Amino acid sequence: MTAIDVKDLKVERSGKAVLHGIRFSVQVGEVFALLGGNGAGKSTTLLTLLGFLPVAAGSVSLNGISPSANVKKIRDQVAYLPEAATLYPHLNAYENLGYFLSLSKLKLSKAELDATLEKVDLQTDARSQKMETYSKGMRQKVSIALALLRDTPILLLDEPTSGLDPVAIDEFNRLVRSLAAEGRTILMVTHDVYGACQVADRIGLLRGGELVGLFGSNEGQKIDTQTVHKAFTERTGAKRAVS
Amino acid sequence: MRHEFFFLIKDRAALLWMTIAFISAMMAVLLGVSEVYQQRTALAELQKLDRVERELTLDAQSDWGNAAYYTFHLTYDPPSDFAFAAFGERDVSPWKHRIRMLALEGQIYETDADNPDFALIGRFDYSFVAALLTPLLIILLLYDLRSGELAAGRLNLIKTSAGQAKRVWLMRSTLRLGGLYLALLTPLWIGGVIEGTPTSTLLSASLALLIYTLFWGALVYLIANERRTGSANLTYLTGIWLLVCAVLPALLVLTVNKSVSLPNGGDIVLTQREAVNDAWDIPKDVTYKAFLERHPTWTDFTGWDGDKGFEWKWYYAFQQVGDQKAEALSQNYRKAREQRDALIGKASFISPASLLQRQLEKLAHTDMKASLAYEESIRDYHKQLRKWHYPRIFSNKPFSSDAALAEIPKYQNVLERK
Repeated sequence: MTAIDVKDLKVERSGKAVLHGIRFSVQVGEVFALLGGNGAGKSTTLLTLLGFLPVAAGSVSLNGISPSANVKKIRDQVAYLPEAATLYPHLNAYENLGYFLSLSKLKLSKAELDATLEKVDLQTDARSQKMETYSKGMRQKVSIALALLRDTPILLLDEPTSGLDPVAIDEFNRLVRSLAAEGRTILMVTHDVYGACQVADRIGLLRGGELVGLFGSNEGQKIDTQTVHKAFTERTGAKRAVS
Repeated sequence: MRHEFFFLIKDRAALLWMTIAFISAMMAVLLGVSEVYQQRTALAELQKLDRVERELTLDAQSDWGNAAYYTFHLTYDPPSDFAFAAFGERDVSPWKHRIRMLALEGQIYETDADNPDFALIGRFDYSFVAALLTPLLIILLLYDLRSGELAAGRLNLIKTSAGQAKRVWLMRSTLRLGGLYLALLTPLWIGGVIEGTPTSTLLSASLALLIYTLFWGALVYLIANERRTGSANLTYLTGIWLLVCAVLPALLVLTVNKSVSLPNGGDIVLTQREAVNDAWDIPKDVTYKAFLERHPTWTDFTGWDGDKGFEWKWYYAFQQVGDQKAEALSQNYRKAREQRDALIGKASFISPASLLQRQLEKLAHTDMKASLAYEESIRDYHKQLRKWHYPRIFSNKPFSSDAALAEIPKYQNVLERK
């Protein structure tokens, strides 16, 4: 069953085409990674799915709903983790989570917040401290926790492992896999080839607003990192893949 | 709502601006209450001294002419119970005059001069805080509401979390405006309680401030958008603030002043004094002719003894004629002030700051209308004095200081007459 459907999507920003008719779909319970260098159009794809950018041509839908038809309904079903999201520095982790969840009309107990913060491995003693004292990785963990706490069927993650240390990345990848196993659909954009290969069922390779390659299948077969790495450096023009 | 409230009380910048609003409003109210107290104390002291001086002066007189000449009468316009909030015309026009039975117009306008201290930006009273500082504080509270979130990378997260972010901005704006409104309003009500201001007046002032706050809140909300940076929003908004609160009111006043010419108060004084001075050198019957046109009752009492050069009745007749000569100028002066005030009143609909200030001055009875009413009350009182003195002076009645003390009309100000 298709959760995210992108058909011949064209998007323009300031009159200039940034996506040139890309086409892919993500099935329910699948982890799909959009891989590409800077300016490839990864974040633009996510913003279009969320209804922040208008579709110039083609179509997008999430669970069969087009963002242009009912953006609120789309956003109710999607948890979004923006790239380098900075939550409020003058609030602590609990306060930030409480506030953002209240925007979604969700009220969770401290125990529920703790359980998720535990999942993203944020130290207990840091949770009550103002986030201005946090490292980049700790802030990212709270943002990930927020996305998880929204408890939505679809997660759109923009560079989710940015700022995380290798151990935390491993834990995050495991978390993503377990969410997929629960039936959540995850679309993440990244320029981390190895991370994407480790966690994603399928990978789409973006270059200059075009989808230049698709790897993997829904059959649970492991994606070959070397193949993707080679394609990434060749097809995206990247001198070396970021690991 | 609860979370937005919690969010607000954690926002140090917002709390700082609200605290500044409270302190400014409180200072303005306290300074206002203190000024009103000083004016009332001064008036009470002057009323006491006025009585004592009149007693001493009258005791030393032997005829009604001398008594009328040397006796001063205090007229005054006491501050209203809401004057602490808006001093308005009280800063630039006199609110007390000691007058005599002499020509009046010169006495009214001899102190007619702008107060240089307040000529430029006005007094730091509550109406100043409300009209000028409130918009600035609203700008500082709201200019970065959305652009700040974009710069911090939270805007899309907020929009995604809330579904429709309009509700969030509306809630945040409402709470900030509400907090600011309370910070500004609390000192006003404290001042009102101290001064015994009627609740209806305080409610009217609160309503005016609420409308003004909502107007600026809506303006800032519409102009400060996320497509511009916070600093660009701030630049636009402070420009608008400067235009609406400083440039526009000044332009309005300048335009109105240019279109409605106003005779100089000094010219009234000069015209009247010259008329009085000239009267010493012109035949008495010329003066009496002019006097009797207005006071025919005394036709049979204006004869004079050829040997006698000076008579009080003639003296007071030419004082009256001095006023008559300055009358047209004085009427034009008043009419022009009324006209200017009416025009500024109409034009202030394009300058909300002026509109609010005028509304507060109206409630405080410190507007042009109140100032002109005080001047008229002096003219009425002078008329009463003349009416009382003329029979005694023209009929050469024997002088009695006791009768004078007991019967000379007492000045009643506008509030006392109510």
